[in-house]
Amino acid sequence: MSAAFDREWVLGELLPAKEQEKAGAALATLLGGDFAILDPAGAVLWGRLAEGAEREPLVLELEPIGYVAARVPAASLRSAAALIRQILSARSRYILAADFHNEAVNADYEALKASETRYKALSQALEQRVREQVAQIEAQQRQLYVTDKFAAVGQLAAGVAHEINNPVGFIRSNLNTLRGYLQQFAELKSDLTTAGENWQRLDLDFALEDGLAVVDECVAGADRISRIVKDLKGFSNVDHPAEEVLDISECVQRAVSLVTPRLPPGVRLRVELSPLPPRSCQPWQLAEAFHNILQNAVQAVSDGGEIRIRSLTVDNQLVIRIDDDGAGIPPDQLERVFDPFYSTRDVGKGTGLGLTVTRDIVQAHGGTVAIASQPGRGTCVTVALPL
Amino acid sequence: MPELDDTGSRLTFKLVYYGPALSGKTTNLLRLHDLLAPELKGEMMTLETADDRTLFFDLLPLGFRAKSGLLIRCRLFTVPGQVKHDGTRKAMLSRADGVVFVADSRQTQEVNNGESFQNLADNAARVGIDFDRLPLVVEFNKRDLPNIVSEAEIRARWSAAPWPLTFASALTGPGVVETFRELIAAVYRRFAGEFRLREEHGLSEADFVAGIMGSAA
Repeated sequence: MSAAFDREWVLGELLPAKEQEKAGAALATLLGGDFAILDPAGAVLWGRLAEGAEREPLVLELEPIGYVAARVPAASLRSAAALIRQILSARSRYILAADFHNEAVNADYEALKASETRYKALSQALEQRVREQVAQIEAQQRQLYVTDKFAAVGQLAAGVAHEINNPVGFIRSNLNTLRGYLQQFAELKSDLTTAGENWQRLDLDFALEDGLAVVDECVAGADRISRIVKDLKGFSNVDHPAEEVLDISECVQRAVSLVTPRLPPGVRLRVELSPLPPRSCQPWQLAEAFHNILQNAVQAVSDGGEIRIRSLTVDNQLVIRIDDDGAGIPPDQLERVFDPFYSTRDVGKGTGLGLTVTRDIVQAHGGTVAIASQPGRGTCVTVALPL
Repeated sequence: MPELDDTGSRLTFKLVYYGPALSGKTTNLLRLHDLLAPELKGEMMTLETADDRTLFFDLLPLGFRAKSGLLIRCRLFTVPGQVKHDGTRKAMLSRADGVVFVADSRQTQEVNNGESFQNLADNAARVGIDFDRLPLVVEFNKRDLPNIVSEAEIRARWSAAPWPLTFASALTGPGVVETFRELIAAVYRRFAGEFRLREEHGLSEADFVAGIMGSAA
């Protein structure tokens, strides 16, 4: 900040050396001799102090701030002083106004800075709140997505279960009846001697034997249908409580059985699950998490390759590792794979939520998800859950 | 804080006329220039706009020399009253040793007076002036106009305030000198001890007031 506007007047400031030279030289000429400008103490600021020169004070406010001196008639010297005083007065008004303006502008500027600081703080708080709200909305969207998806899967599973159970029921029942009929049919052989020849001719021995095998196969098939429906129900959490204590490998198995039927040709699934100590978890949620990872792996090796799924215990942690030897993920994409709605797939093919949801679920279980990948060589996803 | 120069031979008080726009601050100074006759009286310096309203300020220097040789000097300033010049008022108010608040007596101006007085208190705090100890006189000006708030009402309203109240018509003169006398006396009481005006310079309150006001005292 410059000097206070209401400071004392100093001759040297109001009339700098250059100005003294101009005014002094002009007055010296007018007065026709030596002319001097003196400071309040009488020291010469400009000019030559003639011997026997008279002094005339330069008063701006109350007291002299300097003198002019020359050896000329008193009236002439007074006129010279009046002229200098006029210059000083004009200069002082200018300097006073300029300094005062400066001080006022500074005062305004300080006030402005203070209010700017306030607004900055306000806007930062606002940004922070917006970030929080956005995060909240995103979390809710993800939650909604998961809920929606499970609701849809659940509904589907319930419908499928109902629709499949009925036909499977009567298939199985009919097959049992048919088995009974065939056994009765076999008894024919002992009663009807003439028919024996026909029996041989018709090769009914084989038909009987094979018929039983076919029926057994049908029974096995029907049993398998029942099992698939059961798996689906398990996955969709129909009939299951939210929290269960079980072997995490079971959740992996559920995800595996869901992926298996839709494997593209040339893709091998190596499942190496070992029994793990049971822990409390939300099985259907974890199955969804593993399913999402598996789906990504299947997509990565869609042109043929191998997916290896292992479960093991490492340092008090349950570790599920899913390796594939597929396309891999470039580093710039790798750092974003967990971002919500980030997808490299075509619009409509991926929601960009798979891994986000996976991480949410694993984190909700107190665990971590790590992804390592080398483009062209494959990807390894490691899920670690505390015991 | 009054300013004592390096040699200790000159003591300068900065006195400020504050108040709402067009309440007559400059007119107060013009009248003082006419009416006061101290030993030393400078020219009044005004910096005003074309429409005669104070843009920056006015400055009137007054002074006298005590018997001790100490030069007592008062520099009277006015501030622009317009709202837009708040930075200017703040700058002017900084380092002030005494303030006259010039209020406009007209009934229509009561809100402006109130706002301006609050502005004075706020700005005093901002520039580091202890408002409770600041020598302050409140002058109700324009008593010569019709439709003014009555003296009794003003006195009743300000009865709780510690500051002297004066009533003036700066345009014609009455009251202006009385206001200034109140201020000078308050300034003496506030700073006399600190600068040993009585002990070292032989100045009583009456001497001090008489010195600055001259024959008008």
